[in-house]
Amino acid sequence: MSGIYLHIPFCEKKCSYCDFYSIESTPLMETFVTTLIKEIHLRHSSLVTRHSSLVTRHSSLVTRHSSLFLGGGTPSLLLPSQLERILTAIRSHWEFEDGAEWTMECNPGTVTLEKLRAYRELGINRLSFGVQSFNASELAFLERIHTAEEAEQAMELARAAGFTNVNMDLMFALPPQTMESLDNNITRMLALEPDHISAYSLIYEHGTPLYAQLQKGLVTPHEEELDAEMYAHVMQRLTSAGYVQYEVSNFAKPGMQCKHNLLYWHAQQYVAMGPSAHGYVDDVRYWNIRSLAAWTQHVNDGLLPEANRETLGRTERMFERAFLGLRADGIDVVDYAAEFGVNVIEALGNDARIWLEEGLITIVHDRLALTSAGYQLCDELTLRTISAIERVSGEQWKDDSAADPIDHA
Amino acid sequence: MNTYRNFCIIAHIDHGKSTLADRLLETTGRVTQREMVYNQILDDNPLEQERGITIKLHAIQMEYISKAGQSYKLNLIDTPGHVDFSYEVSRSLSACEGALLVVDATQGVEAQTISNLYMAIEQGLEIIPVINKIDLPSAVTTIDGVKKQVMDLLGCKEEDMIMASAKAGIGIEEILEAVVDRIPAPTGDPDKPLRALIYDSIFDAYRGVIVNVRVFDGTLREKDKILFMQTGQVYEVDEVGILHMKRHRTNEITAGNVGYFTAAIRKLHDTKVGDTVTNPGRPCESAIEGFREVKPMVFSGIYPADSDDFEDLRDALSKLSLNDSALSFEPESSTALGFGFRCGFLGLLHMEIVQERLEREFNQVIVNTVPNVRYRVIKTDGEELWVDNPAQLPNPGVIDEIQEPYIKAQIIAPTEYIGTVMKLCIDRRGVMLGQTYLSETRVDMAFELPLGEVVFDFYDKLKSSTRGYASLDYDYSDYKVGDLVRLDVLLNGEQVDALSSIVHRAKAHEWGKKLTGKLKELIPRQMFEVAIQAAIGAKIVARDTIAAMRKNVLAKCYGGDISRKRKLIEKQKEGKKRMKQVGRVEIPQEAFLAVLSIDD
Repeated sequence: MSGIYLHIPFCEKKCSYCDFYSIESTPLMETFVTTLIKEIHLRHSSLVTRHSSLVTRHSSLVTRHSSLFLGGGTPSLLLPSQLERILTAIRSHWEFEDGAEWTMECNPGTVTLEKLRAYRELGINRLSFGVQSFNASELAFLERIHTAEEAEQAMELARAAGFTNVNMDLMFALPPQTMESLDNNITRMLALEPDHISAYSLIYEHGTPLYAQLQKGLVTPHEEELDAEMYAHVMQRLTSAGYVQYEVSNFAKPGMQCKHNLLYWHAQQYVAMGPSAHGYVDDVRYWNIRSLAAWTQHVNDGLLPEANRETLGRTERMFERAFLGLRADGIDVVDYAAEFGVNVIEALGNDARIWLEEGLITIVHDRLALTSAGYQLCDELTLRTISAIERVSGEQWKDDSAADPIDHA
Repeated sequence: MNTYRNFCIIAHIDHGKSTLADRLLETTGRVTQREMVYNQILDDNPLEQERGITIKLHAIQMEYISKAGQSYKLNLIDTPGHVDFSYEVSRSLSACEGALLVVDATQGVEAQTISNLYMAIEQGLEIIPVINKIDLPSAVTTIDGVKKQVMDLLGCKEEDMIMASAKAGIGIEEILEAVVDRIPAPTGDPDKPLRALIYDSIFDAYRGVIVNVRVFDGTLREKDKILFMQTGQVYEVDEVGILHMKRHRTNEITAGNVGYFTAAIRKLHDTKVGDTVTNPGRPCESAIEGFREVKPMVFSGIYPADSDDFEDLRDALSKLSLNDSALSFEPESSTALGFGFRCGFLGLLHMEIVQERLEREFNQVIVNTVPNVRYRVIKTDGEELWVDNPAQLPNPGVIDEIQEPYIKAQIIAPTEYIGTVMKLCIDRRGVMLGQTYLSETRVDMAFELPLGEVVFDFYDKLKSSTRGYASLDYDYSDYKVGDLVRLDVLLNGEQVDALSSIVHRAKAHEWGKKLTGKLKELIPRQMFEVAIQAAIGAKIVARDTIAAMRKNVLAKCYGGDISRKRKLIEKQKEGKKRMKQVGRVEIPQEAFLAVLSIDD
């Protein structure tokens, strides 16, 4: 399994909470597309150079990719002709498996039937709509550009255009939100029968307008109790509607898990392009410059537009695999022990027994995974698991990389 | 000897002592304007400059030619400016014949000035009152009142007082003239057996201890054998000199003068402030009076934040105690904090200074426990026990009585705060001993208070409840029997020894309630509910509960940005590293000082 990620950094309007890199200067889209195509060629040739003399065990060049993901920003601002040029460049270098998943993030306020049909003809087979809420005051709080009705219409359009794999994003723990309005949002979302739902609690990210409001005391986050109750309610309603939770925030109809998303949690590789995009190739995590201008400059100068990169050694991979596994579909204890020489359940010892008794984890077929109650405490359980692995392995999970991936340049 | 003058400056913090000292040095040519880069050169420890206080004593000799044309040698002996160091003050006063009493024209007399002044008067020093900062605009309205206070206090005449501004250079000549005219020349016989007073000593990594002395009789010479009369130790003198801006070797110092010597002394503890130096072959008749063994009054546990650093901490404390003879430390262990040290300090300021120096100069990351005093415990079998760690208090069944140290406190405040100050002192189990009006608007109140009630936050409370106007000075008095109990803290039923404290029985309930409340604020939620209990023996006197953690998960992952996610986990992990674990409960370090931040 491996994939390709493309970051499209434009929005008609930035939402107050959003920390992804995007700008409102949509007229720059055309130049951006040209530059992105240059980066695709550049990135490919850099991988060729790197791998010409190496064993190609992890190479992203010899495998057929299982997914392509266009994230943003608002990729649905791309004209079909622009998308076609980008995909042609991608296809000229990389091959995909049969049935590979090609996802495009869409703002429900920016789609038309024509556009969606065109995307579909170009190979996109999965859509992801940033719906977030069906409540007008909540949408206004988030500064979304679409209405609840537009979100419902977007789903109709997607189905009409032939999309059989559609995700919807849902947010909870919004300051103006009550349990009742959250429940209503869930009901309206379920009525649309999305194949996949990503449900996130609102995060107050440093550097966003929302964070500034928080600092000024203009918004009050929910108490931990209510936040937890809302999360529990989301998990309860979605799972009883037949969705399977396969990660802290991700729910899918059986068999409809997002392949690209799973790459992240299974520590699989993905080549990434576009400003601020994060990639993982052959034990190297890299991230591109978070500035359209500087990124363009680099690419035009024939340089890889990376802000920084870090190479993961065996120790880093050992800890990363544990924390990624816990937030997703668990750790295969046998595989993990074979690769890293640590039996996680033994390492946890009495803690594992207590967590089982308290219903925070399950251990089925040698897979240690979190329950709904466990997801609530995911970070805490992760920290304890890491400490246990540290104790048993004698290795320290230290951050040695000088690079700061939280880069707001 | 007639041309020597030994004097010091008595002043409250901020009343301009250091500035005046600088100005005197500058006027007598001991330093040039250019050298005044860091004005206030007497305070050469950065910590002292920052806090505006003098911790270590210094002395500087100046040469001054009087208006009459006579050349004098003036020894300015600096005194520490904080109540924790009052014994050192008394010893440096003994080395002088006179003192400048410096009072801020806008502030008036403060408690500490008065107690040091009384000490100087008792020792027969000639007092020269100086009203400083007369050039401040607000002095116009306050100066007459301040003058009256000083006249009442000293029984002096208006013309005895010198009007000055150290900052503006006003009155400096007059002060120097007064020093030579009014302060008597030292007396003493250079031919008598050596009799010198140690008023300070510092540790030098290359030369060992450098001892500062005032020679009363005889002559101190290099190569002489000397005897410390209190410790009985004998050394051979290596180097003798006087203090200018730097040490200036003179090979000998004679009666009436002030200077330093070295004698290959390895440990500061071997030279006790107040001890008398003489020659073993020809000893003086009697030691100089007033020697007191300096005893730590306040104790606290100091532990390495990371238990692997215990040996580093021991090393740092050993080095620190080389030049801080008042600091004592011995190893102890706690179930909550592991291995650390029980340290003894002169007072709270001294404790803070030690903690700060450990962190700044020795890069130690430490956890310190709530300070307490030393209790005297009489057991039912008659055995006497000193307890400086509450966790070591024996079982109540075998205790006959517990005695605690008391202080005599002097508090000077504007009259409008009499009620506030009385209430504060009575809340702290104080008894008023008397009050004197210094003027129509200022009152001097005397209280007897248990030291244990003062070590927490008494000074801060006093300052905040009087808007900074009250000043405090105190002296240790006696041990008295108190109805004291040990208050323990239990987390999920397990006793946390480092959180135990000894409190008065009548206050135990209220104290327990506040303590558990504070701990509830400071201990973060855990994966399970945590019961916090305060108990006297088996009896629970207060209880609070920390609800279980409900949610700790960062939902969003940023388009494959695993590095960032990992950073966030690492950050949480760093936070955990700074916690101490008792049973399953993780306790942040701030919690061990919880008692200090409890509001009344």
